[in-house]
Amino acid sequence: MKRESNLKKVLSAGHFAVTAECGPPKGADEGPIKKKGGMLKGYVDSVNVTDNQTGVVRLSSLAACVILKEEGIDPVLQMVTRDRNRIALQSDILGASALGIRNILCLSGDHQSFGNQKGAKGVFDIDSIQLIHTVKTMRDEGKIIGGEALTAPPQLFIGAAENPFADPFSYRVLRLGKKIRAGAEFIQTQCIYDIPRFKEWIGMVRDEGMDQKVYILGGITPLKSAKMAEYMNGHVAGITIPEGIIDRMKKVPPKDQREEGIKIAIETIEALKEMKGIHGVHIMAIEWEEIVPQIVEKANLYPRPSL
Amino acid sequence: MITAERKPFEEIKEMVKPYSKLLVVGCGTCVAECAAGGEKEVALLASALRMEARMENRVVEIDEMTLDRQCVYEFIDQLTETVDNYDAILSLGCGAGVQAVSDVFPDMTVLPALNTTFLGETKAPGVWMENCRGCGDCKLHIFGAICPVARCAKGLFNGPCGGSKDKRCEVHPDTPCAWHMIIERLEKKGRLEQLNNIYPPVDWSTGQGKGPRKIEREDQMI
Amino acid sequence: METKEERQGLNFYFFFCQRIDKEQEKNRRTIEKSMGDKVRLFPIPCSGRIEPIHILRALEKGADKVYVLTCREGLCRYREGNLRAKKRVSYAQKLMEEIGLEKERVELINLKKENGMTIDTLVEDLVGKKTNIGSSPLNKPLL
Repeated sequence: MKRESNLKKVLSAGHFAVTAECGPPKGADEGPIKKKGGMLKGYVDSVNVTDNQTGVVRLSSLAACVILKEEGIDPVLQMVTRDRNRIALQSDILGASALGIRNILCLSGDHQSFGNQKGAKGVFDIDSIQLIHTVKTMRDEGKIIGGEALTAPPQLFIGAAENPFADPFSYRVLRLGKKIRAGAEFIQTQCIYDIPRFKEWIGMVRDEGMDQKVYILGGITPLKSAKMAEYMNGHVAGITIPEGIIDRMKKVPPKDQREEGIKIAIETIEALKEMKGIHGVHIMAIEWEEIVPQIVEKANLYPRPSL
Repeated sequence: MITAERKPFEEIKEMVKPYSKLLVVGCGTCVAECAAGGEKEVALLASALRMEARMENRVVEIDEMTLDRQCVYEFIDQLTETVDNYDAILSLGCGAGVQAVSDVFPDMTVLPALNTTFLGETKAPGVWMENCRGCGDCKLHIFGAICPVARCAKGLFNGPCGGSKDKRCEVHPDTPCAWHMIIERLEKKGRLEQLNNIYPPVDWSTGQGKGPRKIEREDQMI
Repeated sequence: METKEERQGLNFYFFFCQRIDKEQEKNRRTIEKSMGDKVRLFPIPCSGRIEPIHILRALEKGADKVYVLTCREGLCRYREGNLRAKKRVSYAQKLMEEIGLEKERVELINLKKENGMTIDTLVEDLVGKKTNIGSSPLNKPLL
């Protein structure tokens, strides 16, 4: 019953980890989750389940994690502070652990004004760093916010997100340091298209010795088309795609653009494998989960270690 | 200052429709400064309502009056002599003003003509910014006198979210990222290390955590 | 299209920058005398002093058409006066449209060189011009 996090085992054994992402359906059906899980099983070490990403109502992350776990997958529970106050968040942390979920990714969440519930009240009772620290204190000290003791602490491998491409650039590394001090053990980054800037960032991370304190997984999102690249660059908060990548997609006829997107993803993974301080990749194939096995295989990351 | 904006005319029109004798009451303090509920705005709204009624063949009597302050009894009392001549009061005060007038004249119908918006600063003529949430526990000394509660869309306490780009907030591209400003300002002052500490979860009970707030000062009471 | 007779029945209000005519004091009296009640003239020190409430009050008092006459853009003695007048007029128009009054009932005119520069001739020209708006609904008798 006291199962350990597979992701933690893979990373601590020194393997280059592979995680993927699964967006739950906009309905009460478990079928799509099982289907996505089935596609990913064996090709990745863990699967993140998004928590109402972009503020759009979907089946709950916690429920989807349980469904994936039953399918034999190690799920990563994404938890945003946008929708729940500290009472609900801590309650769900305990519940997740009791249900056998062993990984959590602490996020502040996309602002509610981006989603389909624009009139919602953004909670933001605590922020992502405070959430990281809360999980850590619950786990390691057996205490909730305010200091009251738990009867049994949750067992969770704690993750956080980082966007190396957001501004102010010089502050991003300091913020990562704060996340590490708060208790983050693994980091999944925003999708990487600008490798030179990412290299600059990881260099700064290494200079601070932070790569020794936290596992860093580089974010990969395969582009489906030149249109998608242009849209993401202009409209998706926190994402930057260099002109060179957009041009490369545009030069290819539309029917071959998916193939080109996969190629770029694999090249990026290869570049990340060579970068000191990078411990794995996190593949976010948005509504294109079926492509993950192919990318993992082509990047020579298959089979996954069985620990 | 408390800022406000006039409600859409349609909404006001529907609100006042049942009343033929109406007193439009302005407030000469905050809402006058933000050009929403001062003497000028009272005159404009009253004139518009009179003309609108006239065009719809309704006979109404709409008078105007502006108090120096609509949230203090001594000023509200100036309405006492005339209030009985009207069926309703249309208040151009903030939400506190509307309620104060209604508390003084509980039998009178008091209608709000404004939407009260925020505690703000007059940034330039015609531009008002929300800079304070009245959280009851000011932390501006830590954040370079830029409030992350009011000016960050997510109210973050430990640095910018991942959506800050070109100094802009991801939520409103024309809003500067509060955290970018905080960092720049502290960096200039050589005090960036002030942000290294992990700011713990905020005690919101000083804000709305205990329901409506009240200040009582013995030394000020008669 | 209104007939000449209809046009003759309309009431005009003029708010004008008094700097457009050095002799406005005298010329204004001349035109007021000859046209009588159908025109009301309000000299203002600068068109920038016009307020939306002046326009609304004029309409409420029975104006079928309100003119705001300003110097040419760029030639305001107080630099931005006529630009402000433009903003105030358009705000007044917004309020007029809210209550269902045609915004054409107020018109701002930035005078050009070819316009006569005495207030009496300006008024005469504008009163004689077709307006296409007819009598204000506020001047119709109550049903």
